[in-house]
Amino acid sequence: MTPLLKVQNIKKYFPMHGGLFSKVVSQVRAVDDVSFDLNRGEILGLVGESGCGKTTLGRMTLRLLEPTGGQVFFNDEDILKLDHKALTRLRPKMQIIFQDPYGSLNPWFNVERIIGEGMRIHKLADAKNLAEKVEEMMVKVGLLPKNKKRYPHEFSGGQRQRIGIARALALHPDYLVCDEPVSALDVSIQAQIVNLLQKLQQESGMAMLFISHDLDVVKHLSQTIAVMYLGKIVETGPTEELIREPAHPYTRALLDAKPSTNPKNRAKKAPLPGDVPSPMNPPSGCHFHPRCPEAHERCKTEEPEIQLINNNRSVRCHLFDPAGK
Amino acid sequence: MPALLDVDNLRVHFQTDEGVIQAVRDVSLQIQEGETLALVGESGCGKSVAAMSAMRLVPTPPGEYVSGNIHFDGRDVFSLSKSELQDLRGNDIAMIFQEPMTSLNPLLTVGDQIMEAVCLHQNKSARDARKITLDVLRQVAIPSPEERIDQYPHEMSGGMKQRIMIAMAISCKPKLLIADEPTTALDVTTQGQILNLLDELRRSTGMAILLITHNLGLVAEYADRVAVMYSGKIVEEAPVETLFEFPAHPYTRGLLNSIPQNKSGGTLQSIPGEPPNPANLPPGCAFYPRCQWSRPGFEEKLPPQFSVPDSHPDHKVACWLYENGERPNFES
Repeated sequence: MTPLLKVQNIKKYFPMHGGLFSKVVSQVRAVDDVSFDLNRGEILGLVGESGCGKTTLGRMTLRLLEPTGGQVFFNDEDILKLDHKALTRLRPKMQIIFQDPYGSLNPWFNVERIIGEGMRIHKLADAKNLAEKVEEMMVKVGLLPKNKKRYPHEFSGGQRQRIGIARALALHPDYLVCDEPVSALDVSIQAQIVNLLQKLQQESGMAMLFISHDLDVVKHLSQTIAVMYLGKIVETGPTEELIREPAHPYTRALLDAKPSTNPKNRAKKAPLPGDVPSPMNPPSGCHFHPRCPEAHERCKTEEPEIQLINNNRSVRCHLFDPAGK
Repeated sequence: MPALLDVDNLRVHFQTDEGVIQAVRDVSLQIQEGETLALVGESGCGKSVAAMSAMRLVPTPPGEYVSGNIHFDGRDVFSLSKSELQDLRGNDIAMIFQEPMTSLNPLLTVGDQIMEAVCLHQNKSARDARKITLDVLRQVAIPSPEERIDQYPHEMSGGMKQRIMIAMAISCKPKLLIADEPTTALDVTTQGQILNLLDELRRSTGMAILLITHNLGLVAEYADRVAVMYSGKIVEEAPVETLFEFPAHPYTRGLLNSIPQNKSGGTLQSIPGEPPNPANLPPGCAFYPRCQWSRPGFEEKLPPQFSVPDSHPDHKVACWLYENGERPNFES
């Protein structure tokens, strides 16, 4: 079976201008040579720290950002080759919910219009049943239909995120990008939204790219995890395997950085030294080597290639030995 | 031993267009020398206002200290004069904030900003101040401090800026450091570095830390005692191990259950609903509408603090379920 979404060697370089006539002096490799598959009904968790390119990658898979190179196949169709009209036809099938439930809703539209706009444009509802479908969606995400004439500012953060989810799901997408959907919410509300997304995903069978810096949430939701560091995916694999035996030192560091919830079992592991380097000036060789506790000479000069650990797992690290010593 | 900071029945209100916001409602808490107290709660629960009150930093108006007392090191904070207050802030109590990016002045070098605090609070000459500044930069593990001291905030990463904030805070050797969500804006791998640093400084200098956070993981890792706040009130207070062993208040239980644990899949036990509007609080237990164990009558009267039976003597909970002196059965 072919995957629903196939991303191949995708890149996004942002030019940096400088000098006298604002010449392009260098490039920021926000996403550099990333490939992955996403099957129907699968949830892929994309983890990384701020600035690692995870949002850029997510947006490129929807062609909300034009990649510098590479291919994105959705249902075997290269979406980067589509013209505007063909892309519009595809839009309802590929949706996104954003991190910031404050900035991503039009403050001049009431909830009914926000949720209904997509259905109206893509002719998924006519004037007669639009109101009814909007109410149906509101109930589905746990909003009261009587509030449909209200505006975004009248809702709390959690409720606004529910509006965002209803807006995206009203179009019955096959593929949903969730870009840090719970990071801006309080802990008790986070759990509500995670549960809601999980329930809706199970009901609809859509595939999801779940982007987050919170390994706990990703682990809870996704079947597969991809870990990103400075524009590259450094490790991928099925969630349980990856958590049990992380192959990349960065994945291990992320797992260790998570505080335990048992005060009797204080980890007191040495945290990773240093900060995430600037993507404008990434370290030579393996981008992770200045912070890596196990780095050796080769890591400083030579960039590691992707190596397969088994059929489902891969890692980008010199230290990984396929012979399994 | 008298507490370093003793907040007694503090009540802080804000006058707004929507009415009176009761941000802090009869909060009492004590911090001993050298200990880390974590103040836990969600946004808007009043934890920052309660902490800022220790330095009388709440602007009045719109804020108003309605009632209560605050003593720091035996001194009555509310009776201090303006210059005595100036002395208390910085010299005795220092604070670091969530956003290191916006808390630093972008137009001054970080060295100048730290030196300003040193000169102001310690009456040092510029040369001595620079020496002290270099010392504190070393203390917070800034690499090559001689270069960094003359750099501007934009030349530094988020974690580095938070270290600068900490350097500024500890430059006058405070007895209490208030850390208001110090790592919320930082990356996961940087978070551990900053909290380890605070913990080391606490050990080496003996200062106390009031750690304000919504992250229970950090509490488990770094706090000695915990106070949980909800809608302006402290609903539970306990030594950290006791709290995680038996979270007594239904809200604390809900918070802990909301964290995705090691198992993947399944449904999270979330707390239904949302916190009440602080301008329109119910007369009784504020958690009543979201609580699965609440019983009729709980919404009418505020629960007092009860001791939690069969637990640490300092384990207190404000919940009617403990009225009869027995542990409620949360399993049923």
